[in-house]
Amino acid sequence: MTVQERAALRLQERPRREASLWRDAWRRLVRNRAAVLGLVVVALLIAVAITAPYIAPAHYAAGDAADEHTVPSWLAAVLPGNVAAYAKINNKFLLGSDFLGRDLLSRIIYGTRVSLPVGFMGAFTALIIGLVYGCISGYYGGRVDDIMMRIVDILYAFPTMLLIILLMAFFKTSFGGTPVPGTPAYTFNQINKAVDSILGLRGGGMLFIFMGIGLTAWMGMARLARGQILSVKEKEFIEASRMIGASDMRIILRHIFPNIIGPCVVAETLAIPGYINYEVFLSFIGLGVDPPTPSWGNLISEGAQALRSYPHLVIFPALALSITMFAFNFLGDGLRDALDPRMRGTS
Amino acid sequence: MLRDKRLFLVVAVLVTVAMVVSACGPKGPKLAQEINLNLGTEPPTLDPALATDTTSVEVDESLFLGLTDFDDETMEVIPELATEWKVSDDGLVWTFTMRKDAVWVHYDPATKKFTKKRPVTAHDVEYGVKRTLNPETASEYAYVLYIIKNAEAYNTGEITDPAEVGVKALDDWTVQFTLEQPAGYFGGIAGMWVARPMPKEPIEQFGEKWTEPGNIWSNGPFALDTWEHENRLVLVKNPHWYNAKNVSLQRINYVMVVEASTAFAMYENGELDVCGVPTTEIDRVKADPVLSKEYYEGPYLCTYYLGFDTTEPPVDNKLVRQALSYAVDRQKLVDTVLKGGQKPAKTFACPGIFGTPAEDPNFVGISYDPEKAKQLLADAGYPNGEGFPEMTYLFNTSQGHQRIAEFIQQGWKEVLGIDVVLANQEWKVYLQTIQTDPPAVWRMGWCADYPDENNWVLENFHSTKGSNRIKWSNPEFDRACEEAAATSDPAKRKELYAKAEKILCVDEAAIIPIYYYTRVVCNKPYVQRTYAALGNEHYDKWKVLAH
Repeated sequence: MTVQERAALRLQERPRREASLWRDAWRRLVRNRAAVLGLVVVALLIAVAITAPYIAPAHYAAGDAADEHTVPSWLAAVLPGNVAAYAKINNKFLLGSDFLGRDLLSRIIYGTRVSLPVGFMGAFTALIIGLVYGCISGYYGGRVDDIMMRIVDILYAFPTMLLIILLMAFFKTSFGGTPVPGTPAYTFNQINKAVDSILGLRGGGMLFIFMGIGLTAWMGMARLARGQILSVKEKEFIEASRMIGASDMRIILRHIFPNIIGPCVVAETLAIPGYINYEVFLSFIGLGVDPPTPSWGNLISEGAQALRSYPHLVIFPALALSITMFAFNFLGDGLRDALDPRMRGTS
Repeated sequence: MLRDKRLFLVVAVLVTVAMVVSACGPKGPKLAQEINLNLGTEPPTLDPALATDTTSVEVDESLFLGLTDFDDETMEVIPELATEWKVSDDGLVWTFTMRKDAVWVHYDPATKKFTKKRPVTAHDVEYGVKRTLNPETASEYAYVLYIIKNAEAYNTGEITDPAEVGVKALDDWTVQFTLEQPAGYFGGIAGMWVARPMPKEPIEQFGEKWTEPGNIWSNGPFALDTWEHENRLVLVKNPHWYNAKNVSLQRINYVMVVEASTAFAMYENGELDVCGVPTTEIDRVKADPVLSKEYYEGPYLCTYYLGFDTTEPPVDNKLVRQALSYAVDRQKLVDTVLKGGQKPAKTFACPGIFGTPAEDPNFVGISYDPEKAKQLLADAGYPNGEGFPEMTYLFNTSQGHQRIAEFIQQGWKEVLGIDVVLANQEWKVYLQTIQTDPPAVWRMGWCADYPDENNWVLENFHSTKGSNRIKWSNPEFDRACEEAAATSDPAKRKELYAKAEKILCVDEAAIIPIYYYTRVVCNKPYVQRTYAALGNEHYDKWKVLAH
């Protein structure tokens, strides 16, 4: 085989090799039991969120206050204290009902329609804004990099939670409620309504939560993307493409992106539980989705009021939340092991 | 060697025994006259001229005396700093004679020393009233004193000479008030915190900081020991108070725990001696053999109501407002969500207030009637809620208010088929919002400052003399309130107030009265206490029994 032939062969092999990289990653992922479990749970949660109206026993806002705080008999037997002495035992609701006689199970099921979109949208916005910002900053370097990164540093200096609380309070007072038609606030309000109805919720204010989390979540991603770019952009193959006259855009999109996207996706998968947690926290302090839309944060917050009398009202939503967090964390860990170049080849 | 070891053992055992004995030795009954209470939140101020909320007033009631006070049981006006008072025949001039043994004290928390400063005199009353009315003080409650001659003009800057205000110390022990018009209820107003005698010296020396521990002068049964903002507040007994020998409590420890459920957990844990019972715990408390004996449910002179922005569509239409009012199942709300023995409300002023038709069987108010509600909404042009514009129901952030809001929201959806957006704001922002730019529907509670309808209908909803957050103006209603205020004949006043309530709550449905409050508390069995109907507890009468 001549040298040319060998080179041609290598070129032919290339696509197959790239495919085998992803196949390799997938193989590594499925070998990781915790990651598979995480993947299955996440897939299940997505299925639950999509099919909520069909699998939930009742609508989340439906209920008769006469059925308030019922406890099913199986729970009454398990719960500490003498629940049977003061609670209404009623097997109509599998996990009991809340203060307005609404089915807790249905509310938890519909709660996935808040928590999952918040998690994914948080990650998605962070990826989009963060990647673009980080790429520009890292690729052009010099003064551009200095200025852009100092802005991130300044924003980073604010406690994220505080920033989100301020943003949410601002959105809620400016765009919430029923603003006058024709104003920008009204437009925002209408977009918000559209988002809510896409998610099948009756008045939730999801757009504000997406914006609140999205506007604060990209900074970490921007730093990560910049760091990745700095390590890649001096590599020979970049210089090569620059030498043959490739445009900046082409270099970034065709050569840099594929090399840095892995770690970025992994980082965002690991950040999803954090975003879900933000929503829970916001709802807990009354800045989250608007009632009667259930979110796990709302449910935990409501349940915590009755912690001593009806502990199950906080236990089940909290359980749903922690299972989700575990699932995303396991999946994220698995993805990192599978995709991170430095971990490649180790097992 | 062996002996040494044995000696060591003996000593070790003896030491251990001694420690155990001293630790579990006779504990003795806990007889400290100390009580642990939850203030609920940081009091916005302790300055009586600035206080507008129940938290501030709760503390001020122990620190500062008024000319008059309310009897815990009968709610009648009784003497406090004043020994007696005379009213002129035309009802315009009120002359109070004061007791001579009340003194200002200064308490130094560092040295725990009380210093007697000087007697409380009529000049302090005059100074206090004028200070509240001074526009520079910016008292939000100054309007309560507008019944005093020229008070409104001085407070609004129309006149600048405080000497024209109708309050004057005739000598050290006599103070005279001149009123704008006769007002039978003025005896109650004279004892309110905004009309209390104030010490000029510390106010001038420390300015805004005069209510801090170590700066403050007070004259009540207790003095301020500690005020760690947002955390705790401690009052100690004032030995120089004229009735100090009958005061048992030596110390009142307030914590500021906002979450009712957290506070109640502290109560069950023995960290609080008295505590309000959160609604979610009521069923359990009533079923519990111990807690059920500590449970108390009693009247409390407050009303929970929904207000409107009566200028904003669709609630500018009285048919819509009536429909909304008829669609609230108050009895069910009380039975299922509140559970504390509250009563469904059909008037603004609650039972126990002079002039209210709340318990008058002839007064037909609005109660739950889904058919009528549907009919009214259809009459207003929204059959089955079709075409009803979206509107906001605003409440201040609290689980309790949210529960009520969700209940009402659900009811309106079910009965009328309309969607309402629920929104909440933090208390201080909330007050600002409903004062300046109220949404279509908002919640509010009103508690009596003095037990007279004037404090309710006129001070809240008169188009110009009240706070009028509902932006409402009804000449007939205004006239009824004004006439009733100027009349001294009780029968006539009752009639006029019934008329005003009917216009407010039924004919125009300018507000939706929801329920009359109750006080739902648990008291440890060793707390011997009184219940003040108006909410300003008299801790000087409380006692901690042996336990």
